[in-house]
Amino acid sequence: MAKIGVFICHCGENVGAKVDCTKLAAALGDHPGVAVSVEYKYFCSDPGQESVKKAIRDNNLTGVVVAACSPRMHEATFRKACAEAGLNPYLCEIANIREQCSWVHTDKDLATEKAMDITRSMVEKVKRNNKLQPIEVPVTRRALVIGGGIAGIQAALDIANAGQDVVLVEREPSLGGHMAQLSETFPTLDCSQCIMTPRMVEAAQHPKIRLLTYSEIESVDGYIGNFTVRVRMKSRYVDIDKCTGCGDCITKCPAKKISSEFDCSLGKRTAIYTPFAQSVPNIPVIDKANCIYFKNGKCKICAKTCQCDAINFDMPDTFVDLEVGAIVVATGFQVQNNSLYGEYGYGKYPDVINGLQFERLASASGPTAGKIMRPSDGAEPQTVVFIQCAGSRDPSKGVRYCSKICCMYTAKHAMLYAHKVHDGKTHIFYMDIRAAGKGYDEFSRRAIEEDEAAYIRGRVSKVWQENGKLMVRGVDTLLGKPVEIAADMVVLATAIVAQPDAKEFAKTIGIGYDEYGFYNEAHLKLRPVESSTAGVFLAGACQSPKDIPDSVAQASATASKVLALFSKDKLEREPVVATNNEVTCAGCWGCVLACPYNAIEKKDIVDRSGRVIKRVASINPGLCQGCGTCVTFCRSNSIDLAGFTEKQIFAEVMGL
Amino acid sequence: MSEPFEPKIIAFVCTYCTYAGADLAGTSRLKYAPNVRIIRLPCTGRISPMFILKALQKGADGVLISGCHPGDCHFTHGNYHARRRWMVFRALLDFIGIPPERVKYSWISAAEGVKFAEFINSVTNDIRKLGPFEQYSQLIEQTQAPASL
Amino acid sequence: MSIEEQYRKRAMELLSGGAVKMVIGYGRGSNAERRRPVFISSPEEVNRLVLDEACIANLSGYLVNEGLLSDEKRVAVFLRPEGIRAINILAAESQLDAEQIVIFGFDVSGNEVKALKGIHVEEFEDVIGAIKEHAPEMGNEELLEKIEQMNPQERFAFWKEEFAKCIKCYACRQACPMCYCRRCIVDSNQPQWVNTSSHSLGNFEWNIVRAFHLSGRCVECGNCDRACPVNIPLRLINHRMAQEVLKSFDHFAGMSKTQEPVLASFKKDDSETFIL
Ligand SMILES: Cc1cc2nc3c(=O)[nH]c(=O)nc-3n(C[C@H](O)[C@H](O)[C@H](O)COP(=O)(O)OP(=O)(O)OC[C@H]3O[C@@H](n4cnc5c(N)ncnc54)[C@H](O)[C@@H]3O)c2cc1C
Ligand code: SF4
Ligand code: SF4
Ligand code: SF4
Ligand code: SF4
Repeated sequence: MAKIGVFICHCGENVGAKVDCTKLAAALGDHPGVAVSVEYKYFCSDPGQESVKKAIRDNNLTGVVVAACSPRMHEATFRKACAEAGLNPYLCEIANIREQCSWVHTDKDLATEKAMDITRSMVEKVKRNNKLQPIEVPVTRRALVIGGGIAGIQAALDIANAGQDVVLVEREPSLGGHMAQLSETFPTLDCSQCIMTPRMVEAAQHPKIRLLTYSEIESVDGYIGNFTVRVRMKSRYVDIDKCTGCGDCITKCPAKKISSEFDCSLGKRTAIYTPFAQSVPNIPVIDKANCIYFKNGKCKICAKTCQCDAINFDMPDTFVDLEVGAIVVATGFQVQNNSLYGEYGYGKYPDVINGLQFERLASASGPTAGKIMRPSDGAEPQTVVFIQCAGSRDPSKGVRYCSKICCMYTAKHAMLYAHKVHDGKTHIFYMDIRAAGKGYDEFSRRAIEEDEAAYIRGRVSKVWQENGKLMVRGVDTLLGKPVEIAADMVVLATAIVAQPDAKEFAKTIGIGYDEYGFYNEAHLKLRPVESSTAGVFLAGACQSPKDIPDSVAQASATASKVLALFSKDKLEREPVVATNNEVTCAGCWGCVLACPYNAIEKKDIVDRSGRVIKRVASINPGLCQGCGTCVTFCRSNSIDLAGFTEKQIFAEVMGL
Repeated sequence: MSEPFEPKIIAFVCTYCTYAGADLAGTSRLKYAPNVRIIRLPCTGRISPMFILKALQKGADGVLISGCHPGDCHFTHGNYHARRRWMVFRALLDFIGIPPERVKYSWISAAEGVKFAEFINSVTNDIRKLGPFEQYSQLIEQTQAPASL
Repeated sequence: MSIEEQYRKRAMELLSGGAVKMVIGYGRGSNAERRRPVFISSPEEVNRLVLDEACIANLSGYLVNEGLLSDEKRVAVFLRPEGIRAINILAAESQLDAEQIVIFGFDVSGNEVKALKGIHVEEFEDVIGAIKEHAPEMGNEELLEKIEQMNPQERFAFWKEEFAKCIKCYACRQACPMCYCRRCIVDSNQPQWVNTSSHSLGNFEWNIVRAFHLSGRCVECGNCDRACPVNIPLRLINHRMAQEVLKSFDHFAGMSKTQEPVLASFKKDDSETFIL
């Protein structure tokens, strides 16, 4: 038999003035299952709470309803009091008769009547409440950081510096990501490699960081606090323990004409190579597709050259299985392939390049040692045209969004060019200049005022070649006139897009993504660095186009989230989670699709001989956030949500 | 003259947006019609069409459903799923002869205390004008359905 | 060779070669107009198969009978386009593996039976696409029009009268291939969401819930209509719901075996004109 205690709070005059609490207490006292129904001036006060506790003990109450202010105010207070009196805290509910009754109504009789309904309905609910225990999830204190660009490195270092173990996985042969390719960086024009390489070295040498380069994530299972991850370490064909990084093999490799990815095809590399001179780790890999031995079965010059016997052509891929408690995804971005824009001639004319290629030309360690030389003949271009939004903000051909960083790096490019080619001329076609950020507007103004970048507002319609020049035709929309410029080089500020495999990869780790493949945050405003999957965090440009300061800030934010998660041995969660009845489940798996948190898995039920006899849905309480979307979807009424069960809500309605 | 008809209205709301918006109407001491009874759910995703049917069985003359604006759902997508279900269920009720005026949907955020109060007032007025849902109460009378578990 | 003969021959070949373990088709019924399902598992029996304009029932529901497909062997089945759509839905809802189903497709227009080309469900996407564009007449358009013209009170009265006839035999549920749940929500009594006795409220609730659960899933085969002993125009409600999901979400039930269930998915820009 239910023995419910009803505690009606006057809240001074706040409730009492508009709700006849005595009448309310009397009415509830007559309600079936109510053992105690009392009123008091302030139940949230210490004596008030004590009286609730005493009533629980004296009457062996099986449930408590406090009719008072909103549960958003004092639910926690009263649940705690119940627990102290030995009653499971989830057997306590609040009837909101202040914010949603006494404060909003003027007629005392009607307000009292409404308060009775509200309280009765809650009593009916509480009768069906179940004892719940907070869910405890053990936490493995090791973080996995995926992606070794600036964002991944920053996150790994912050976590490691706080004393926690980190595994940093990068799929390229070296750490660095895009930042390693940049020349100098806005808004301060400091040399990118000068600030980047020390970070890379620090990450590689950190005692708390295990670095796995040239490695990819095979699979991720489990949930917050308890992920199991399989990593494939692609064969480098070079023994990382034996190699000293002398580079003799690279010098001797006869396959020298391979276009360098790191230099964006502006330079060449060998078949055994490190992407760039300051690579971390400084251990080469053999590019199987271009290696003469792998192609023809003859060569092995590198192996003969190596004095450490580090090269092994039979080296297989190996796998590492990791247990981690949290995952930071920092897989970065790509620049859009601009051959989509046939009218700009990218891919057709060698002197039409993209921004990243310009970075390599301007970089002191780049293929031209920092001299601005155009790709076709190595001549110094005297007139350069920059085209902004080449792909961004263009729903018809490119992407709808703004790539955010191109305005700034184009201004930077104009400055770098002006500093290197003193009598050169730059023209920049733009739609708007978006230079919000500390020092950013000043920076782009400097490009105009000091470095004489000529900004032309308008779009370019066509680029073609004529008499050894690249002819650029566009409109100046401010003057309302067409313009034609004869240029020596054209630089496209290409759109920042998601990694080509971003959507596939999101499925591997089980996180959400938007239509473009950028990863979705749990809440754009309030939880910008958490993915929708508990325990998986997002840093850097994989979430949206970002510059370095934003990437680093976000990376540090993920580190603080990871460290908060690691601050306890066990994770305690509200037990408001869904459970599924496997007997009645029809295995339609609509719930699996509907769950916003991928908390529901498909499960095979097998008989003793291992034969599948039934397939059902199975809810992982570690991932479920308790929204109840699945409950409503389920046609067979097989799912229920603790704290808001079907029975409880039915009773609440029927109690009205 | 007989007393004006006072409708019974049952509202199902999500706790993060509309329930908080209703609290805000309270803390701002806005006034609205006392006809509404609110049932709090974690998310609009949890609001089942069954609840609407049970509210009608309990004699509601009007039912309100409300939650976070699209994009604001605490659970990211619950309201998008809810919106599809409502679209379909609404059409069904309409076809069966349960007038759409009696089941109303809204997005009310935690900041929209004023919108909440106005919404309750306008819906209460509309349903007052429609009068009691007699056709449905006849169903119930002919039935004596058990009102408990 | 008539289609009936062709299909008998194909059934014979499939069964004798062991390519399928069973052919589900139509056989003679209790009188000349009636056809009933037959389950043929040996080549000798293929002559029991009949294919003519009286073959109306949607046989896809038999495929999800407990255990039939669990040995992973193939089963062949005679299906009209609605039945083929039903296979897509059942596959999309993980009730069967479409690879296991060999289709004997056919359609009837007037008195003419024509074969539909293809074996696997994917091969019929054009046929289904064509139905999406031009829905065939159902014969109930007039009634639908009439109901749409009514005011809410009249509509309510109309359905009240129709539902009053319901005896809660659940023949409609039994006949529908989409009603495959092991336990229907009506049979869940903790709590009793749907009043089960066949009084007017219970009848209303049952028919509303049935139609809701079939929204975006009903293929309008008419099995329910034909099964209902008291002739409630059930398919009409389903048809109205099918129109709704098509109009609102461009969702045509059973387009493909990977189609996302309409109520388990969403688009951020779904229409919401009705939300205040
Ligand atoms: C032309 C250009 C100029 C720029 N100039 C500036 C500037 O001057 N100032 C500024 O602030 N910003 C600048 N930026 C922006 C800057 O490059 C980015 O903000 C920064 O690189 C983002 O870092 P990230 O770590 O998020 O991504 P990335 O640098 O892209 O790093 C991602 C890393 O993850 C790895 N990875 C990807 N997928 C996987 C996987 N599945 N498994 C394992 N590893 C994976 C990649 O190999 C890469 O190493 C510029 C960008 C461009 C294109
Ligand atoms: S929605 Fe219900 S029946 Fe379908 S898989 Fe999920 S729990 Fe099972
Ligand atoms: S309650 Fe919400 S989060 Fe939990 S399993 Fe169901 S849909 Fe997923
Ligand atoms: S509801 Fe009726 S018409 Fe629709 S699929 Fe089921 S049996 Fe066929
Ligand atoms: S078949 Fe007809 S009578 Fe039987 S339950 Fe269905 S609607 Fe009611």
